[in-house]
Amino acid sequence: MVGIALYIVFFLTVVSIYAIIVMGLNLQWGYTGLFNAGVVGFFAIGAYGTAILSGPDNVRLIGGFELPYFIGVIGGILIAAAAGLIVALATLKLREEYLAIATFGISISIQLVALNFASLTGGANGLVGLPRPFYQFFTEPSVYSVFFLCLVLVFAAVVYVALERAVRSPWGRVLRAIREDVTAARSLGKNPTMIRLQSFVLGSAIMGLAGGLYVGFIGFVSPIDFLPILTFQIWAMLIVGGSGNNRGAVLGCLIVWGLWTASGYVISNLVPPGFQSRAGALQAMLIGSVIVLTLLFRPRGLIGEEDVISTHAGASATPALQADAAEKG
Amino acid sequence: MQKNIYSALAAVTLAVTGGSFAGTASAQSSDCTYPLGAVLSLSGSMAAIGGAIGDAGQLAVDQMNEAGGMLGCEVEYRLRDDQGQPNVGIDAAMSLVSIEGVEVLLGAIQSGITMPVLTSVAVPEGVTQISCCSTAPNFTELAASGDTQGYWFRTLPTVRPQGFVMADIARERGYESVAVIYVNSDYGVAMTEAFNDAFTAAGGTVTEMVPYNQEQASYRAEVSTALATEPDALFLVAFPADGATALREWLSFGGTQNILLSNALRATEFIDAVGAEYLQNAAGIDNAQFDGPSVDAFNAAWEERFGSAPEGPGLHTMYDAAAIAMLAAQKAGVYEGAAIRDAVREVTGPGGEVINPGPEGFARAIEVLAEGGDISYVGATGPIEFDDYGDVSGPYLIWGVSEDGELTQVDTWDVERVNELMQGQ
Repeated sequence: MVGIALYIVFFLTVVSIYAIIVMGLNLQWGYTGLFNAGVVGFFAIGAYGTAILSGPDNVRLIGGFELPYFIGVIGGILIAAAAGLIVALATLKLREEYLAIATFGISISIQLVALNFASLTGGANGLVGLPRPFYQFFTEPSVYSVFFLCLVLVFAAVVYVALERAVRSPWGRVLRAIREDVTAARSLGKNPTMIRLQSFVLGSAIMGLAGGLYVGFIGFVSPIDFLPILTFQIWAMLIVGGSGNNRGAVLGCLIVWGLWTASGYVISNLVPPGFQSRAGALQAMLIGSVIVLTLLFRPRGLIGEEDVISTHAGASATPALQADAAEKG
Repeated sequence: MQKNIYSALAAVTLAVTGGSFAGTASAQSSDCTYPLGAVLSLSGSMAAIGGAIGDAGQLAVDQMNEAGGMLGCEVEYRLRDDQGQPNVGIDAAMSLVSIEGVEVLLGAIQSGITMPVLTSVAVPEGVTQISCCSTAPNFTELAASGDTQGYWFRTLPTVRPQGFVMADIARERGYESVAVIYVNSDYGVAMTEAFNDAFTAAGGTVTEMVPYNQEQASYRAEVSTALATEPDALFLVAFPADGATALREWLSFGGTQNILLSNALRATEFIDAVGAEYLQNAAGIDNAQFDGPSVDAFNAAWEERFGSAPEGPGLHTMYDAAAIAMLAAQKAGVYEGAAIRDAVREVTGPGGEVINPGPEGFARAIEVLAEGGDISYVGATGPIEFDDYGDVSGPYLIWGVSEDGELTQVDTWDVERVNELMQGQ
């Protein structure tokens, strides 16, 4: 039983970190309609930023500034936000598909920089011995795991509450207006370019925060942590959970990552010895089919977008809108 | 949708229960089982080699079960796929350790997965980890800093011992000062650092360590920097084409012909490009293939089981990793991570009765250990001895160049001689 509890703590820590990234993507795609296919790039920048600022000194590396962990995390967030700003300025004029291709390319470039700029990032070997917050105060690793889970949950909760407030504010309604009809939003005197820029930068900063937490969790970072498949996993979480809904984003994380990991357990227990080495492909097929089935039966995700998000809208408006949505759905 | 969730849940539950039935069925030969965990890339970028590496572990487990099992119980091989992704790999490792009760983890293949498994699962959970395939030098650094708490082992030799052997040869030849020109990669950096450590410890001076980037037209700047220190000899750590360019420039600038060469330069194209007459005083190192009954035993067992020769990276080393894990548990007398960690060096290295791969070898090991004797596992890769940092050395050969440009073998270093040198430092 202790073992299972330990595993659940571990699992939930990973899910919470991913939930933060998915909420960042939800702000960009779910609310603003910005197709960011380079999620992993901003996650990587946050992770490397934190690692370089807070990592141990090393004669062979430029980094290793040994700053306190949380200063490192803030630094990672700021660097990820700056990267988001540069990318946004360069690409936000592009329409959806083109923005996707551009951001995908950028995330690959970021991973390649991490692989090749060895004097900063440690190259293929990565950076080792990175600090974990408050680790020295704990003697029992399992107690520390619980503590770290709580820490990540606090960050996830702060991001969740802040985003919920933001998207229910007038600013949040402009995001949706821009997503649905840029021309209409502009005709109402809104500045779509500025609002999109804000949404993209804020989303990137949130992804950077997740990167910093990931570094604190693992104590190690290397380019292989940031393969393009992670972007796909994050997108699958958002789409399955329900894009345009933060609760959906979090639920999607739980479901998709749970499926991803449970399928490995199930298959290694189901497949007879001797065929274990061939079972990897089965796992990929199982994951794929469940995602496809979810999308077929639940195209808007498990929890779709709410029809009314404004805190100011009266209750009387709600039933009519819901009926309208039911017709559409 | 609710219905869909429930049916999905039902499917998972069914699968899990089905899995436990399958587990019970395979454990019928004895009434207890121990899980042996492995995390390898069965899909993803390393899929082409991962499957066969997984089979090598399975072979060792099957042979152990044939020999009567580990600690009297059947060993269940729990192989999990990391999909070439660290996040999947650490989750698989954590689930093996915490849910399935694994006390030894084998793997992973890529260093970028092996390292997070080690730092976030194996060390905090007190589980011994033995990798077949990860060569990155930072594992040695981490072990030296004490952060692995001794839980880390790998059965694949690193380049570090080569640097030590070359330093010994340099001293033997009476060189007081040596300059190093090396390729700027993890291989080149690791080799140079090892050489520097050993040569300095032996009283010599490394005058300059100059890195070069691959595939440049000329290395004049690097060569001049090294030459300016007027060393007794040059140690060139390079690949053939770049190495030839650099060495020709070295010689044309009047550099000494006392030259030490790394393993990748043992190629006729390099010798032809430089000119054999300039290499009469050169000595190089290379990995030697170990031959012996233990290697033959593994090769024969593999061919019988899978119908082909065991060709491909990681097969021999994975088999040894699995065998050492099980023998160490047998020696420890208890299936527990820290006890297994402490027993690993007791079942390897010289001194005990030699145990070869195969069911007969494992059965003999169980017998000797039951009588309180010592065993010395000599594996599919030959004799194995872990150093303080969990690394192993391999056998090496020292090569030279004859007057007509042929490669000659000057000397051989077997594992015992290498270990003696490494320990002497």
